[in-house]
Amino acid sequence: MAKAEREALLDPLFNNNPIALQVLGICSALAVTTKLETSLVMSLAVIAVLIGSNVAISAIRNQIPSSIRIIVQLTIIASLVIVTDQILKAFVFDVSKQLSVFVGLIITNCIIMGRAEAFAMQNTVKMSLMDALGNGFGYAIILIVVAFVRELFGSGKLFGVTILQTVNEGGWYVPNGLMVLAPAAFFLIGGFIWVVRSWKPEQVEEEFHVGALLEPGHEGNLR
Amino acid sequence: MQHSTSYILLFAAAVCAVCSVFVSGASVLLEERQQANVELDRQKKVLVVAGLMEEGESLSRVEVAKRFETNIVPVIVDLETGVVLEGVDASSFDQRKAAKDPEASHPAPTNAAKVQRLPNQGQVFQVVTDGRLQSIIIPISGAGLWSTLYGYIAIDADLETIDGITFYEHGETPGLGGEVDNPRWKALWKGRKAFDKRGKPVIAVKKGMAGPPETDPYNVDGLSGATITSRGVGNLVRFWLGQDGFGPYLDTQRAGGST
Amino acid sequence: MDPIRDALDKAAPLFEKGGRLEKLYPLYEMHDTILYTPGEVTQTSSHVRDGMDLKRMMFSVVIALIPCILWAMYNTGYQAQFAIASGALPLDNWQSWLLHELGFSFRNTNPILCVIHGSLYYLPVLITTMAAGGLVEVTSASIRGHEVNEGFLVSGMLFPLTLPPTIPLWMVFIGIAFGIIFGKEVFGGTGMNFLNPALVGRAFLFFAYPAYMSGDAPWIAANFSGVDSFTGATLLAQAAVTSGALEAASWWKSFFGLIPGSMGETSTFACLLGAGLLLVTRIGSWRTMLGVVVGTIGMALVLNLAGSATNPLFAVPFYWHFVLGGWAFGMVFMATDPVSSAFTDVGKMYYGIGIGVLCILIRVVNPAYPEGMMLSILFMNMFAPLIDHFIVQANIRRREAGYAT
Repeated sequence: MAKAEREALLDPLFNNNPIALQVLGICSALAVTTKLETSLVMSLAVIAVLIGSNVAISAIRNQIPSSIRIIVQLTIIASLVIVTDQILKAFVFDVSKQLSVFVGLIITNCIIMGRAEAFAMQNTVKMSLMDALGNGFGYAIILIVVAFVRELFGSGKLFGVTILQTVNEGGWYVPNGLMVLAPAAFFLIGGFIWVVRSWKPEQVEEEFHVGALLEPGHEGNLR
Repeated sequence: MQHSTSYILLFAAAVCAVCSVFVSGASVLLEERQQANVELDRQKKVLVVAGLMEEGESLSRVEVAKRFETNIVPVIVDLETGVVLEGVDASSFDQRKAAKDPEASHPAPTNAAKVQRLPNQGQVFQVVTDGRLQSIIIPISGAGLWSTLYGYIAIDADLETIDGITFYEHGETPGLGGEVDNPRWKALWKGRKAFDKRGKPVIAVKKGMAGPPETDPYNVDGLSGATITSRGVGNLVRFWLGQDGFGPYLDTQRAGGST
Repeated sequence: MDPIRDALDKAAPLFEKGGRLEKLYPLYEMHDTILYTPGEVTQTSSHVRDGMDLKRMMFSVVIALIPCILWAMYNTGYQAQFAIASGALPLDNWQSWLLHELGFSFRNTNPILCVIHGSLYYLPVLITTMAAGGLVEVTSASIRGHEVNEGFLVSGMLFPLTLPPTIPLWMVFIGIAFGIIFGKEVFGGTGMNFLNPALVGRAFLFFAYPAYMSGDAPWIAANFSGVDSFTGATLLAQAAVTSGALEAASWWKSFFGLIPGSMGETSTFACLLGAGLLLVTRIGSWRTMLGVVVGTIGMALVLNLAGSATNPLFAVPFYWHFVLGGWAFGMVFMATDPVSSAFTDVGKMYYGIGIGVLCILIRVVNPAYPEGMMLSILFMNMFAPLIDHFIVQANIRRREAGYAT
């Protein structure tokens, strides 16, 4: 594999992770990560859509008129999401019921639109495929890690199998109710970002000042 | 690269055509399977509350369908009169959808369960083994603390005793109100009496612990730390077993109505 | 010479740069400076305006907390003894075992007995908090290479007072650790936290283990499940369910704090004693406290006027809100936390009013959380920088306008 391709594949895992560095796709990362099973299916769905959209858009990138390119990308992505949703409903009904609207909301997942516009429009099909795989797995890593912690400590289970028997079922483990609530995913993703940035300090952004948003000379008006 | 307007229009049309073929193809090909899944899902829920299947038990599609068909008779009931409607396709009826359809429903009278609309027709499931009625499964729903709870309650053929209860959808606080899912708590309902001697629904979720079914038949243990959810569950069960819910139907059954 | 000083001096080379235990320098420094005046002297001309440094400030807060702490021990014991005297059973734990072995009666509400009984619940929680918090503080100070800060001393004193007596100690451990790490350390340590760490810890426990932090069971250290006539619910929770609950209760009893609740929060009187000291030493801002009072009265009156047929809390008058739940404790010790509150004088008023209004709104309108003080303070903590921003901008604009003419 050529160097550029390897980079496109491996970079998004930790160096340029879509969730941890770019903080995209947070919505679904909060919503579906109470269980490993749902996170895994969600990750696979996003990976599938991402591959489909990156490959399709890259293949016709030279034909797409630039004036309508966003709407073309959206049409392709939306079609892929609908088909994915239909497939999930047909083959893993229970999980798709739990994922409810969040499969449909993949359409609005910034990772997919972002990769299409920022990468697939400029690169070959093969490179775009690598990029899709890299970003998809970068997204999946976070979802799986978060879901692992949330399911284990929130309900004492992994993939629905009891690991820590909870008090209500006659065991000893007192489940942590916060883990089942969406804010827990915020804390965990925040903690994950903390860990990654301590390990790779070059990811730390410049300090943010409220003043940065203000127009110079017109303090008080948001830009 | 500049493109002519006709090229852009042609391109857009082509993308749309390809995508729509793709989407509708998937939809048509998979529809049958999806319908079967929805049906299977509902059958499983009913089997669980009827005690014919363990919760979370993995059964094959065929097995579920077999158990459902040999034991369960879906029936459509006119809620107001309590009369069983013949000649309606009971298996495809969706009560939750009907309650939202203005044609098939009406506003509910003010009630403690905070049910907004009532369907004109309701769906109950009769559990019949070897030709004998075992129990009647009635859909229930109503407000808890944060969310609307949806579930089923099974009433024994004596039309008095509760055989089981289950909630398949709710958004209550995990660990408190969310314990309506707890199998141990659900097991507490079995054997309690839903109705007093005059047929009025009196079953209540008590605050704290209730006695054993023999001495304290009309109360169920409250969920600890979840006063409002507990009260809500009591309200919604009484509502659906009462005169605004399936009460008239149960009355016709008591009077020896058709089975 | 002083033997402690000698021992510290002898140990010093171990911890200083190049020493074997260099990493643990914060641990050494912490003990050295809490026992003795630091050895460093200002080399250049100094600019002392006030003898009040962080250490003395924190210490004053701890002194202001003493009435609440004493009351916490007494009332925890009193509630348990009273419940047992009314027919409840002692809890099946080591505290009961110890009291039994020592030959104490459980049915007697003798004040000394109550204090001893209560301290058996309060002290372990305090010790656990200090141990867990200290561990986190020292670890993070060692990693980051800064000194251990007295800020933790106050958080560590406040936290146990916000907990119910029956809280399991391992939850205390997790709670304070979470509070310090996610409430303070992730933002850079003491002074950089925009949330009150003790409240973050409490909020964590509240959402993680609601069955141990709310409801009827946790507030009294006795097993009263068999006694039908006895409810362990806090007065605030009772008022939310039954409309006559407050008429039947005594306001003065609630004011002095002879009611079930979190250990340190029940006595408005003890909190006011602490408030007195904080106001005299000017550590607690009177503007914040006044704001809370004004906000509470205003919102309670609005809700009284609005009225509700189904929710008895709408009718609760403001003077009852003063003596229920964590209102007084939160106002005196939590809202006035100088780091997480607003900095500007006018800002403190708005900040306080926001807390008062939100507290009453949460208490009355939210069905699930009868207590609103914790959430309202945390919420306003988040808005404090924004309030300050607008106050400062308004000030700048006003002065610019002055120049322009």
